[in-house]
Amino acid sequence: MVTSRSAAMDSPASAPVPGQAASAAAPGRPLRTAVQPASAAPAVAAAPAGATLIDIRNLDFFYGESQALKDISLAIEDHKVTAFIGPSGCGKSTLLRCLNRMNDLIEGTRVARGTIKIHGVDIYQDDVDVIELRKRVGMVFQKSNPFPKSIYENITYGLRLQGVKDKARLDEIVEKALRGAALWDEVKDRLDASGLGLSGGQQQRLCIARAIAVEPEVILMDEPCSALDPVATAKIEELIQELRTRYTIVIVTHNMQQAARCSDRTAFFYLGKLIEYADTRDIFTNPGNPQTEAYVSGRFG
Amino acid sequence: MNAPVPPAAASGPDRAAAFAIRKKRVKLLGLTVDDCIKSFFGGNALVSIVVLTLITYFLVREGAGFFGQNRQNLQVYRQAGLEYVDFIRVQADDHTALTRYLSDLRLRSLRHLTETKGRSLDDANAALAPFDEFAGKFGDAVEPVRGIVSELTEVATAIKTKFIVNEDKKEERRQLLAEGKKTEADAVAITPVDFAAELKPLLGALPAYKDANREFTAKLTAVLAAPPALPAPELEQRLQRFTALARDYLATFPAVERNLEAWDFRQPVPATQSFTAFIFGRQWLTASFWQDWYGIIPLFVGSLLVSLVALTLAVPLGVGAAIYINQIASLREQKLVKPAIEFIAAIPSVVLGFFGIAVLGQALRLLSQQSWLSWVPGFPYSERLNILTAGCLLALIAVPTIFTLAEDALNNVPRAFKEASFALGASRLQTTLKIIVPASLSGIISAVLLGLGRVIGETMVVLLCAGNRIAIPDFTQGLAFVTEPVHTMTGIIAQEMGEVVRGSIHYRALFMVGLVLFVVSLLINFAAQKIVRRYRISIG
Repeated sequence: MVTSRSAAMDSPASAPVPGQAASAAAPGRPLRTAVQPASAAPAVAAAPAGATLIDIRNLDFFYGESQALKDISLAIEDHKVTAFIGPSGCGKSTLLRCLNRMNDLIEGTRVARGTIKIHGVDIYQDDVDVIELRKRVGMVFQKSNPFPKSIYENITYGLRLQGVKDKARLDEIVEKALRGAALWDEVKDRLDASGLGLSGGQQQRLCIARAIAVEPEVILMDEPCSALDPVATAKIEELIQELRTRYTIVIVTHNMQQAARCSDRTAFFYLGKLIEYADTRDIFTNPGNPQTEAYVSGRFG
Repeated sequence: MNAPVPPAAASGPDRAAAFAIRKKRVKLLGLTVDDCIKSFFGGNALVSIVVLTLITYFLVREGAGFFGQNRQNLQVYRQAGLEYVDFIRVQADDHTALTRYLSDLRLRSLRHLTETKGRSLDDANAALAPFDEFAGKFGDAVEPVRGIVSELTEVATAIKTKFIVNEDKKEERRQLLAEGKKTEADAVAITPVDFAAELKPLLGALPAYKDANREFTAKLTAVLAAPPALPAPELEQRLQRFTALARDYLATFPAVERNLEAWDFRQPVPATQSFTAFIFGRQWLTASFWQDWYGIIPLFVGSLLVSLVALTLAVPLGVGAAIYINQIASLREQKLVKPAIEFIAAIPSVVLGFFGIAVLGQALRLLSQQSWLSWVPGFPYSERLNILTAGCLLALIAVPTIFTLAEDALNNVPRAFKEASFALGASRLQTTLKIIVPASLSGIISAVLLGLGRVIGETMVVLLCAGNRIAIPDFTQGLAFVTEPVHTMTGIIAQEMGEVVRGSIHYRALFMVGLVLFVVSLLINFAAQKIVRRYRISIG
């Protein structure tokens, strides 16, 4: 069923597992780790674009009794933008929220089978510190949700949690994060104003700034533009293009043009299954699966 | 030229007939069903407003007469010379307070000698003989002044009685006239009280008082000149403090004489005094042979202290429970704990009061008498019913209110805030303390205020468990005041309303207390609403 033309998927051996040593040290599932191909372990920062960062294998996920994800296997590449598309209820947001274990907050959810490995470490192991994980895997939500605090405090929130108190350092990071989110020029004079007083698009960029202030490796975006007008959307998309040089981005979107414009790889989901995963250009111009073709051409969904 | 008609459509008139969107409305007395429903609910809303207005009107009408009557009450106090006698009485009472200081000092000295120095009781008593002589002389010095006070008291009481009898007769006559019995009314003899003549013996006693006062002053000065030695420097210090206080006391004597000389029974009592005597009056004294005082301060302070103790206990419990249930507890715990806390609200307050008397008061007193708890201010105590007992029970009453409203406020915090915080790597505790609680703070504050409103209006528990002693607690010992009995605004209304004569000054005073209570509750609720409204705006 899965039509995967990703080189990484075709040949698991080509998926380097940088944290292999670490994962071996951690009490992993012997069966799974044995299947993992041993390979070169390049340093994280120097990882070439295209190397696998997040490796999802045979994932089954349940909300109570209903299965939301069925046997998903997917390799998300480092320093690339990966888009998840599909009709509502296909499981794309659920999968995204699995990547930083936000689903833990919902009662009755469970991963029944399969693994998600980041740098080779299975993030669903018992000894994983979820808080550390979420510092490394940041998230931007569908509806912008700045805290009812000042702009400055919104951005420093994550840093203060980590115990950063030095005012000069905080100032520096705030400026850097706001510049990174292309918001600095608009708010530099009113950092003490409430984050809730910004426009919708500004609020969403504030949320992105807040996420990048803690220097994550991965940024998950859950339909970040669905509540924004075209101008604000264009700004966010521009921003994504800039952020891809420094972060690995996974974006869920309903907007097919958006996926086509700003992602490198696209995964199409339908009814909890991964239908097709390939380079974005191929998905939109030359889909391998008739369902994908029907969806991207707008015939259903 | 014809407008394009869809080919499938029927011809004109038939379609218009099928397009039946008009309906005949059923009307009753010219009102449609919608109107009836509207006026039913509107009427309900109107009824509650009317009832509230009536309550306010009734409270104000019944209470309003108080100030006039109280002014008259104060006027009689002056005209009958009671005020005059009280100048001297206060002087004598201040002296009594000083002798109490001396007996306390003796107790400390005795304890020091027997416990610290290990001397026998007889030995210690012998060692304190000079001190006893000093205290005895100091205590006896007041006798001449006291003698004058008791003489004058009789005179003033007699004048007041005469005046009251006259007033009663006037009332009798008025009633007889109203019934049309003119001859009987004429038979009621009324001789107006001639205050000037009646007060002559009182005013004539001034030279005698001056003599007594001179003697008093001389004796005190002589006694204070030779203070006895005490066995410890700490005690010596206290004695020095006493002599300083006594000297201050002596310095007030000329002022008393001046007051007596300047006093004039004809001076009218200003209208404002009737008001200030109520709002700032430190005494609530009724059915007294001497003079009735209606000062709300002891009752107000009592209500306030009991409520504050209750809130101090209920806020951490209620808000803590709300945070726990809302943020931490599992679904099972929620299902168990929430109804349990809300059930507390269903316990009749008289049952709680009964529990307070029979169990809690007893248990707390027992606890206070444990030696390992003697460091707690006010422990040990012997009054079973006091601020603490009542406060603990009122806390129980406030917890469900605070818990329910605070939980609602926490629930109203958008889930998105929580998710955003978690996504930034915050722990559950950090998210709760830094995001959820600040975002719902105004809701929590208003929950606390409404809890306060609930507590300050509670009657049964305080009536049964607060001790009902009408006095302002002694704040000099710090937190120890919580172990003193008090009376409250609600308690006094419940206790005395059944016994008072309708329309009397006492009756109206109780209504004024009710009015104050009403205003306080109104203000608290108003503040709570204001805060909630501001909170809604800030969340957006």
